Amino acid sequence: MLTKKNGSLKALILDSFTFGYLASVVLLVLSQPDESSLMELGRNTLIFSLLVAVGAVVAFILEKKGVVSLGNFIFELAHLKMLRTPKAWYRNFWLWQLLISFVVTLIVGFKLTDFSMYDLLDESGFQGAVRIFSALLSPEWSVLPRAVLAIIETIYIAFMATVMAIPVAFVLAFFAAKNIMGRTVGGLAIYFSLRTLLNVSRSIEPLIWAIIFSVWVGIGPFAGMLALFFHSISSLTKQYSEIIESADEGPIEGITATGANSIQVVWYAIVPQVILPYIAFTIYRWDINVRMATIIGLVGGGGIGTLLIQYQGQAMWHEVGTLALLIVVIVWSMDTVSAYLREALK
Amino acid sequence: MDLPADTILSVQNLEKTFDNGVRALKNISFDVKRGEFLVVIGLSGSGKSTLLRCLNRMHDPTAGKIFFQNENVTDWQGPQVRELRRKIAMIFQHFNLVTRHTVLNNVLMGSLAIMPTWKSLLGLFPESLQKKAMGYLQLVGIQEKARIRAGQLSGGQQQRVAIARALMQEPQLLLADEPVASLDPATCHVVMDYLEKVNRELGVTVICNLHFLSLVRRYATRVIALKAGEIVFQGSPADIDEEWFRRIYGESAKEVHVN
Ligand SMILES: Nc1ncnc2c1ncn2[C@@H]1O[C@H](COP(=O)(O)OP(=O)(O)OP(=O)(O)O)[C@@H](O)[C@H]1O
Ligand SMILES: [Mg+2]
Repeated sequence: MLTKKNGSLKALILDSFTFGYLASVVLLVLSQPDESSLMELGRNTLIFSLLVAVGAVVAFILEKKGVVSLGNFIFELAHLKMLRTPKAWYRNFWLWQLLISFVVTLIVGFKLTDFSMYDLLDESGFQGAVRIFSALLSPEWSVLPRAVLAIIETIYIAFMATVMAIPVAFVLAFFAAKNIMGRTVGGLAIYFSLRTLLNVSRSIEPLIWAIIFSVWVGIGPFAGMLALFFHSISSLTKQYSEIIESADEGPIEGITATGANSIQVVWYAIVPQVILPYIAFTIYRWDINVRMATIIGLVGGGGIGTLLIQYQGQAMWHEVGTLALLIVVIVWSMDTVSAYLREALK
Repeated sequence: MDLPADTILSVQNLEKTFDNGVRALKNISFDVKRGEFLVVIGLSGSGKSTLLRCLNRMHDPTAGKIFFQNENVTDWQGPQVRELRRKIAMIFQHFNLVTRHTVLNNVLMGSLAIMPTWKSLLGLFPESLQKKAMGYLQLVGIQEKARIRAGQLSGGQQQRVAIARALMQEPQLLLADEPVASLDPATCHVVMDYLEKVNRELGVTVICNLHFLSLVRRYATRVIALKAGEIVFQGSPADIDEEWFRRIYGESAKEVHVN
């Protein structure tokens, strides 16, 4: 009962937004607003909200008339779906709703990204690209020593961020696992607040962390390491806690029944089950962190990224080419090695 | 509470209602004497597992009282519950060993409750406990498997390791929740014979859930039958005739023999 209500509420929200969105696009095309009226965020938000509200009314009426909208189709319970008599595909309302929304979005997308075949095939622009490409492909080997030192720094930034995140995530993961915390009300409260905190911090990209820390501790490898460290804590905690949640209940029950305390239960019944997947995920995290450390360097996180952005700023394309080549080689080999390691740990 | 001296466990008006509203146990009362091999039978869902798990407080009873060795253990909390669990060992249908640890380590885990936490986390089980563990492995006939990972043993062997782990707790009472339900008939008897040995030779009282009546007749000294959370029969296994059998298992049931 509750799930059905939930389902139709979700359906209503989804439908209101698609209708409101389509109406907004139509309104934009009809009114052709100028730059300054587009900038009026408050007023435009209000208009959009009104249109969504109108959309909600439309969706509600459709629902009452028994029309199967996109929202209904997605969120409806499986056993209700079975009951419906099949129609010819083109007579499904939800299909047209999806199709129209998609096509409209595609058109808006072309417009907003200034998609232009003319620019892509333009003679002089194309020449410029060819120049850069040929420069990239004829690397300037004299910068190699500096590049190697920089990429070693990058690898160590990633390594330190990962290693320092492990113990923190290891401990936090138990508090973020439902099968451990779900037994008491207090535990559940900790579980939910920690989960929320993790989800929020994980949605902050390392790039943002890097900008924050490069202001805080100054541009350089330390800022990059801290950025990746924070991101790794939330990612690893999430992955670790999911591994804990999928752990077999049997040993937990078995050890609990011997009269062991909860620390002993965690150590003897849970840790042996999770340790190999933990190692696999951690290696993978290091691998990801090497790639991210490169990007973070672009905004002042040290390592090869910082070097790259310097050469790029001075249009030294041969040097940029050298760095790019080195990054490809390192990322590719780390990727391969970590894949082999993870395979072996299965 | 004045119970007869040879009563190890007394269950009085026990009730268990789960959070989802299922009333799994209704007004259950019975006594267990020291040295008994009490078997609990009943259809799937009749509440056998719930009953055993209330006795060692893996579940908290909703109402009623449990006396273990003359003490009211119903409201015990924290360390007391752990001490209770140490004295009331349990084995399970799916053995519940830590499959990645060695057989010996699994047996040693039966002594976690008497170890200081820091020592147990470092795996510093004293020589005396290691000897004892080997002794119990010998008792269940698999001492030569001590260094093998528990997950590599057959089901019957794993259950014997579980029995050794239980004995490591030096329990006064052993709960067995369908200990042979996932074993083949031959292995079934091997494991049951070890339980009988533990009962007779070490004097550990046993409460065991079983499915097959032929096993009940062979091993039980007394039987309790549950139906929909209530006790419908209490007595000697020999007294379960056709009539009782149908009352416990329903009209259409037929007895299956395991030899
Ligand atoms: N943790 C739980 N939460 C809610 N209901 C439960 C829980 N455990 C058991 N039950 C319910 O309690 C009743 C008794 O279950 P129990 O597992 O004790 O039966 P059983 O006699 O052991 O059955 P089986 O022979 O299948 O093991 C069942 O209706 C079951 O669905
Ligand atoms: Mg059961």
